[in-house]
Amino acid sequence: MILLLGPAGLLLLVVFAAPLLHYAWLSYHADSVVTGLEPVLNHGANWIRLLQDQRFWQDATQTLRFALVSVGVELLLALAIALLLDQRWRGRGAVRAIALIPWALPTTVMALGWRWIFNTPYGPLDQLAHALGWPSLNLLASPAITWIATVVGDVWKTTPFAALILLAGLQTIPGDLYEALRLEGGSSWVCFRRITLPLLRPYLALALLFRLAQAFGVFDLIQVMTGGGPASSTESLALYAYLNAMRFLDFGYSATVVSGSFLLLLGLCLGGWLLSLGLSRPQRQQEV
Amino acid sequence: MTSALRRLQPWMVAALTMALLVAGSMVWVQARPTESVNILMPAPFADATQPLVKRFNQEHRGRIRLTVTRGPLETEAISDLAISSLLLGDTPFDALLMDITWVPKYVAADWLQPLDPWFGPEAMAALAEGVRAGNSINDVLYRWPLVASMGLLYWRTDLIDQPPRTPQELVTISRQLQADGRVPWGYVWEGRQYEGLSCVVLELVHGFGGFWFQPDQAAVGLNQPQAIAAVAWLRQLISEGISPEAVTNYAEPEALQSFKAGDAAFMRNWPYAWAELQQPGSAVRGRVGITTMVANSGDPSTATLGSWGLSMLRGSAHPEATATAMRFLSSTESQKALFLSHGYTPTAASLYRDPELIALNPILPQLEEALEHALPRPETPLYAQISDVLQRDLSASLTGQQSAAQGMERASANTEAILRSAGGTP
Repeated sequence: MILLLGPAGLLLLVVFAAPLLHYAWLSYHADSVVTGLEPVLNHGANWIRLLQDQRFWQDATQTLRFALVSVGVELLLALAIALLLDQRWRGRGAVRAIALIPWALPTTVMALGWRWIFNTPYGPLDQLAHALGWPSLNLLASPAITWIATVVGDVWKTTPFAALILLAGLQTIPGDLYEALRLEGGSSWVCFRRITLPLLRPYLALALLFRLAQAFGVFDLIQVMTGGGPASSTESLALYAYLNAMRFLDFGYSATVVSGSFLLLLGLCLGGWLLSLGLSRPQRQQEV
Repeated sequence: MTSALRRLQPWMVAALTMALLVAGSMVWVQARPTESVNILMPAPFADATQPLVKRFNQEHRGRIRLTVTRGPLETEAISDLAISSLLLGDTPFDALLMDITWVPKYVAADWLQPLDPWFGPEAMAALAEGVRAGNSINDVLYRWPLVASMGLLYWRTDLIDQPPRTPQELVTISRQLQADGRVPWGYVWEGRQYEGLSCVVLELVHGFGGFWFQPDQAAVGLNQPQAIAAVAWLRQLISEGISPEAVTNYAEPEALQSFKAGDAAFMRNWPYAWAELQQPGSAVRGRVGITTMVANSGDPSTATLGSWGLSMLRGSAHPEATATAMRFLSSTESQKALFLSHGYTPTAASLYRDPELIALNPILPQLEEALEHALPRPETPLYAQISDVLQRDLSASLTGQQSAAQGMERASANTEAILRSAGGTP
């Protein structure tokens, strides 16, 4: 039986474990133009540099902020959309298909679109503000606000994906559960609280995990929309790792940034998992 | 078998023989050594050189086949593509159209082939003086300039008679024009956190009498009073409303858009913008002049040099054929064609005095003058790093996160840290 797991296991090993191990190995080496692009063991100097690298920690905070806020907003919106699309109404099929369009667009293309929409003073948003007599919004030029603009871009693009997962979850819930509760006089809100939400929890967790990991590795959206600016206020860890490798040709340190980000993400997921365990335990007892 | 043979008709035999003959002759033609040369260029250059490539292939039929690979549009995306292929070894490209700032890095990575056997001192002497710098490392030539480019100050001839020469003049004129309601903004430039910002600041810092980084003396000049004054001046432009606040997210297209719409009196941009401003849709068509960047009196007016040039990659299997193609593409005739069709600023000195070209494009003498003021960015393999940390603190200073002095102090310290950690000098 265990042999049957072989091919899948091998695939995981080659596709996931091997690159991670390679980066971990490379993070203990200097590998840049200074060393002639050859790895030279430097005994953890990269890691010491990483711990002292203010920019790494600033980027880590910014990436975490971006991931948590955008995934949080996405899940709320996705739940609302999934509930809507789960109801029976005329034209639902068409709307379901249309709702997926943002997800189907290439990120780079829509990031260019957002850059245009948020453009000051020629973008439509700024034109609207102008027509209303407001001052220019400067959404992409202010370190305090620009990250929110990137969150908007991300939410718009990825909400359909989360909605799709939640919709699939909703459709696994048997309708007679609702009927039974209704017979006992349960309102819609009670139905939602007592049936929908608990039964949807594994799907919420799945969407959360997928999206959190994805948002934590955000690159293309930021690269195109802001290039990490202004004042590096939107730079993500992936962007920093990319800069080190492709621009600075410092592959050793880039591998350290990647490995460091991986450890942070691992910690984040572990934390989330423990949290979800703590949340679901009392619920299980109730069900029994 | 025999029955099949017996069924062969004479016409079938004839057709078969013909087919064999044709196939054989094709193999014979292909067996003659045609060397293929592949050059990677950013998309606009690849498109612009198409007619030249066609002519080259006609002239060298059967000997060299030149292909130009159409790369991405953005400068850094081209570098990423080239570097990826070089890192994997066995690059499909024989040559690369390179930005001037990449040369030291590529040479340090040992990716480029010396060009001295093909481009000697007499070829160098035919180049305009401003484009000679930045192509050699330790007196070995690695890049042959094809298109010159330098920072220019665009101004509106319908608003003023003479362009400002000093930063103070630019501010005074802008304020006056804005107060009179003749133009919403005084000056638009590239303030986004990216390479263009480093270009803006390099020429301005020199115009204020300072410097950025001198690799030969390993001196960082960012925390000197002159450099701080230059950055403080840029911040002042924003805080006083001479430049829009959004300028801190402007790259070249945004600045051009604003100036082209008639919304600004001055713009900092590269030579390509001239042709764009003369398009039918432009609100300032025929009302634009160019000059060099403002500088304090007594300090040098400076233009950041931003040229493109051809470099041969080490992996090239056909260096001789590649050099032939490079020589053809950078010949005076080719440069003339590129200037006429796409406005690409030539690198050959003789073209700046070509009466035919001057008649067609009146800004050529000004471009030549600007080229005389051109200055390359710091020539070091660590350029990408030191430019990146500068952009970071510049952006923070321009958006009011920190003062110009704080920002330049930090940028200076960070630059020195990079040089130290890489084993460079300070």
